[in-house]
Amino acid sequence: MKEFLINIDRRIIFIFVALGIIIPSLAALRLPIHITEDVKAIYDTIEEVGAKNGTILISFDYGPGSLPEVQPMAIAVLRHSFRKNVKVVGMSHWVDAVGLAQEAFEITSKEFGAQYGEDYTYLGYKTGGGSLVINMGNDFHNAFQKDQQGNNTTELPVTKNINGLADFDYVLCLAAGNTPDGIWIPFGQERYKFKFGLGCTAVMAPDQYPYLQSGQMNGMMGGLAGAAEYETLIETSGKATAGMGAQSVVHLIIIAFIILGNVMYFLYGRQKGGGQ
Amino acid sequence: MLFLRRSLPLIIAFAVGMIGILVYYIPHSGAQALEQELTTWYRIVAAFALLLGIYSLMRLHWNRVQRQQSGWGYSFLVFVGFVLMSIFATYNDGQGPLNPQVIDSGPFVWMFKYVQVPADATMFSILAFFIASAAYRTFRARTPEAAILLVSAIIVMIGRVPIGEAIYHALPEIAQWMMDVPNLAAKRGILLGVSLGAVATALRIIFGIERSYLGGGE
Repeated sequence: MKEFLINIDRRIIFIFVALGIIIPSLAALRLPIHITEDVKAIYDTIEEVGAKNGTILISFDYGPGSLPEVQPMAIAVLRHSFRKNVKVVGMSHWVDAVGLAQEAFEITSKEFGAQYGEDYTYLGYKTGGGSLVINMGNDFHNAFQKDQQGNNTTELPVTKNINGLADFDYVLCLAAGNTPDGIWIPFGQERYKFKFGLGCTAVMAPDQYPYLQSGQMNGMMGGLAGAAEYETLIETSGKATAGMGAQSVVHLIIIAFIILGNVMYFLYGRQKGGGQ
Repeated sequence: MLFLRRSLPLIIAFAVGMIGILVYYIPHSGAQALEQELTTWYRIVAAFALLLGIYSLMRLHWNRVQRQQSGWGYSFLVFVGFVLMSIFATYNDGQGPLNPQVIDSGPFVWMFKYVQVPADATMFSILAFFIASAAYRTFRARTPEAAILLVSAIIVMIGRVPIGEAIYHALPEIAQWMMDVPNLAAKRGILLGVSLGAVATALRIIFGIERSYLGGGE
């Protein structure tokens, strides 16, 4: 038994993790969700933009690998925006985000009857990173002459009055890589002084706190928990809220294994010289 | 020949680098127009870099297939995926390559939705299992520093999910404080160090001290 607990087969840990995901998901385990100020700040900004019928830019910078964490944020923010008559312009620095962004627009625009070109548009993917952002800041229509469907951005009602990034009432980056701190903040927010928010994977979130404190970003949704908070704020339960039960249980399982590993290490492992 | 291989790239790097820095500080329409032109050129170059990337990827996998190295079947699948997706993108659900990409139907969209998305999502979801196993095996309080890290990680892990508040009402606030204060202080220090390093490296490249990007070697 002692040997078993010192070195538990990884397949047993895998079974615990799998059950920790499957059972709460099937049982639809729901827990009260604590709202953080960072997520509330994004929600409040969308409310403010909605009050003046403004326009926001959403940069979809993630791929299918981070879809479970970031796509619920995209859907929740789009739902909130369309509900509040906020006009939305979408774009991507990641090529594999294109299909995901289009899917998010398709789901939410149908729910609220949002019209393409009038209420939202999607510009698609372009290379360039920081250079593209500088181009957009100086001359938006030059950087994106056409949207994904081939319409001129100078003629679309949602983009015709946008001359540069500073004309957007809010820029929100939904990211799974370095686009917020590597592209949007140094080449965009810092130069054109627009209001900037971020939705990112949980693993990225700790790196972003310096930008929150400096005011370069006004709010942040971190991981599935951040998406669940936003869904709670807009009172529309989605995949993130549904996933919180499973995530809570899996976190507890991992912590239980860490504690067990340390208990066994202190009881027996150190005598063996390492407890590996 | 040496001029083309060595001197010319160094001159271009110096000129473009200096212009890139200077136009940032010159609030004149001419400087802004120059910057706009340069960044547009950069985007065009970046698009060609994409072609180079495709060539490099294909050559790597072609060599594996030719030599029948271990796992060469996966390399063959790279070609299958690349050719199929290229054909489907060109076909564009019957609209042809010159029209905007059809976004709601057709084989290209089907392959993205039902092959790429699940495959990519599966790869990342497996991480949860490996992290759990690795945490059990390696996350040990062997030193006081490791013990502090361990306790902090447990508080943040539990404080960031809804069950944390159910266990102890102040856990989310404690977790938030840990992110806002000690985490932020450490991250800011790292960030400043990395940024100063990046500035130093950029200057070394602009002034021709760092030449490894020229490749080749002597």
